[in-house]
Amino acid sequence: MRTDPDLAADAARGSDTAFAELVRRHQARVRGMSRRLTGSASDGDDIAQATFLTAWQKIATYAGGTFSAWICMICYREFLQVRRRQRPEIELDETAEIIPFDRSVPDAGDKLDLSRALAKLPEAQRICVTLCVAAGLSHREAAEATGWPLGTIKSHVNRGVAALRKHLAADQVA
Amino acid sequence: MRDEDTYADLTALFSAEDREQEAKPFVDQVMGRIRAQARIRKLLLVVTGVGGALLAASQLPKLLADTVGLDASLTTSIIQVQTDASALASANPLWLGIAAIVGLSLLAVAAMERT
Repeated sequence: MRTDPDLAADAARGSDTAFAELVRRHQARVRGMSRRLTGSASDGDDIAQATFLTAWQKIATYAGGTFSAWICMICYREFLQVRRRQRPEIELDETAEIIPFDRSVPDAGDKLDLSRALAKLPEAQRICVTLCVAAGLSHREAAEATGWPLGTIKSHVNRGVAALRKHLAADQVA
Repeated sequence: MRDEDTYADLTALFSAEDREQEAKPFVDQVMGRIRAQARIRKLLLVVTGVGGALLAASQLPKLLADTVGLDASLTTSIIQVQTDASALASANPLWLGIAAIVGLSLLAVAAMERT
């Protein structure tokens, strides 16, 4: 099986079939990540699409390394751009307990305990858990994507994971 | 123990949730948009290229005529100057000196003119 860097190199030379294979391989992770960041399947898929379109335009700048980390970083930036357009007055506050992304419309498919438990986390924890636990970025990659200090990322992940386990346990008891 | 090891079970849960999403419609949609963008870009390039080629082609006859005309007149002038200079030089070399001084003076004045 061809590696991601090989496919990316072919895509950079204009091969859309190579890029289609990359989309097929990474769509689940990217869609999952964007759905968790937005709390909505449709908004999440819009961001995931924008992510792959941006990735196609910037594929020549991919300089090796983990492709999934590269694409997840693009996804996070797309999420921030969409959120700024949606709520330009709100700056991301890593200590905020509110969830600024518009989650007013509940998603029919969003019924899993995991998603519900994740949605209960404060935004910064939810972002860090989404990036590190769900999308599989290392703490350092998440720090690079968000621009937050490494210690802050670790702290949010640890607290987020603990809270997530607590919520999941509570859901199971209920 | 690495930090990531403490939540491997949660990562597995998230991965299982992600795998439930159907890939094909999403991949088709993304690739459809990419191919549409590529088609539009190609069309724009072709339109711009053809437009540029037509513009260049419309100017080509004039350009060629001008270039050929300039070459012919330049060649004629050079031959004429060579002939006159030979005639003057054989008749009286002083005329060559006078012509050179006048020519240089005119050249100097022309070079200093702003308009």
